[in-house]
Amino acid sequence: MSLLVSYLEHAVAVFPSLLRGAVITVEVTTFSIFFGLILGTIAAFGKLSKRNVFKLPSIVYIDFIRGTPLFVQILLFYYGIPGLVTAATGEVFRIDPIIAGIVVCSINSGAYNAEIVRAGIKSVDRGQMEAARSLGMTDRQAMKDVIMPQAVKLIIPPLGNEFIALLKDSSLLAIISVHELSKNGMLYVSKTFAAFPTYISVALVYLALTMGISRILAYVERRLGVSDRSE
Amino acid sequence: MIEVNNLHKHFGKLEVLKGISEKVDEREVVCVIGPSGSGKSTFLRCLNLLETPTAGEIRIEGELVTDPRVDINKIREEVGMVFQRFNLFPHMTALKNVALAPMRVRGLSEKEAYDRAHDLLKKVGLEDKADVYPSSLSGGQQQRVAIARALAMRPKIMLFDEPTSALDPEMVGEVLNVMKDLAKEGMTMIVVTHEMGFAREVGDRVLFMDEGVIVEKGTPDEIFFNAQNERTKSFLSKIL
Repeated sequence: MSLLVSYLEHAVAVFPSLLRGAVITVEVTTFSIFFGLILGTIAAFGKLSKRNVFKLPSIVYIDFIRGTPLFVQILLFYYGIPGLVTAATGEVFRIDPIIAGIVVCSINSGAYNAEIVRAGIKSVDRGQMEAARSLGMTDRQAMKDVIMPQAVKLIIPPLGNEFIALLKDSSLLAIISVHELSKNGMLYVSKTFAAFPTYISVALVYLALTMGISRILAYVERRLGVSDRSE
Repeated sequence: MIEVNNLHKHFGKLEVLKGISEKVDEREVVCVIGPSGSGKSTFLRCLNLLETPTAGEIRIEGELVTDPRVDINKIREEVGMVFQRFNLFPHMTALKNVALAPMRVRGLSEKEAYDRAHDLLKKVGLEDKADVYPSSLSGGQQQRVAIARALAMRPKIMLFDEPTSALDPEMVGEVLNVMKDLAKEGMTMIVVTHEMGFAREVGDRVLFMDEGVIVEKGTPDEIFFNAQNERTKSFLSKIL
């Protein structure tokens, strides 16, 4: 009984700090979703392009990011790049951890988004493009009016999963002392050694956040009529 | 109107068209028959450059469309195409399906395009389906919308790629009737079809293709009832 009371006390004590961390987590995730979407869309069209100047960089980007751990990417960007700049120029160069976190998460998420967007575009029936082109529409017009509106409905659900993964993966930014949700939990544990109540609280706050995203996505899917896909 | 000279098409090592030469005059209706894999669809798709010919020449109204410098979109504006699987845009109403290309490609105002689309839907007997999405239409209705969509560009030539093959039998007639009306109005048409009734009623000529070449050609009656070539006879005996 006294154990439960002490756990509850810890959970209450750590909560304000977890909330502050959650704000940072949501901030980093929101910016990363935004930039990751832009990057992903560009890379998707790059990889779909017939021209190697667009295609090859996109493939290298997507394969490199998807083939290496986010954790290593964070270390490489936050410690590796400033180290490289310092070595090359002799000037001390630092990156703000939150900015670094947003940059790395955007780049990382962009590579996964690119494959989702590309797959969505590819899975629109070939006959759709042919019909549009046979009417004299340009590639661009066909993409905008015919292919993308259909692809978006295919893209939204997997993209939602990607956003949720991104929110959870942002916990790795604790390693570069971004004071997000997990980091604040770790700090509290290092002072109190109350690991169980703290980390269960951290987990529950993540759960609340991911459920929030799920709700938003379900709403967007309903609005776009993803379920009543007609063929 | 259309002049094809020694047209070849390869897909990798596979040679699908092995030298097709043919002329289609204005207002002529030409039906193309042949077994699957004979290259008849590929031939049709080469005419509006959905497939790029490997070799040979295609002239439409004297213009060499196989010239790489030619603006493919300009050619396609004049050559309408109807597909076996309709390929209607599922996220647009029947009306919008018909009106889209005239707005985007011909630069018609929304009102002009929708007026034209209404007229065309009426022509194919579907004026009451203007606001319906393709998923709620029967196959025959979808194909009639697809014909209206192609006509909305006011093409000079219409290509039909097995337009009734994906339809339930009871819907074939409604689509063929629309095509017959079109033929009677003087549209130049090339139709890949096995509908003998259609070919005899409105077809001026029939081409029989097999293994990438035109094996035999003639009037519908000549081909269907008095074929000279053994391959033609053997094919017809299977489908008639």
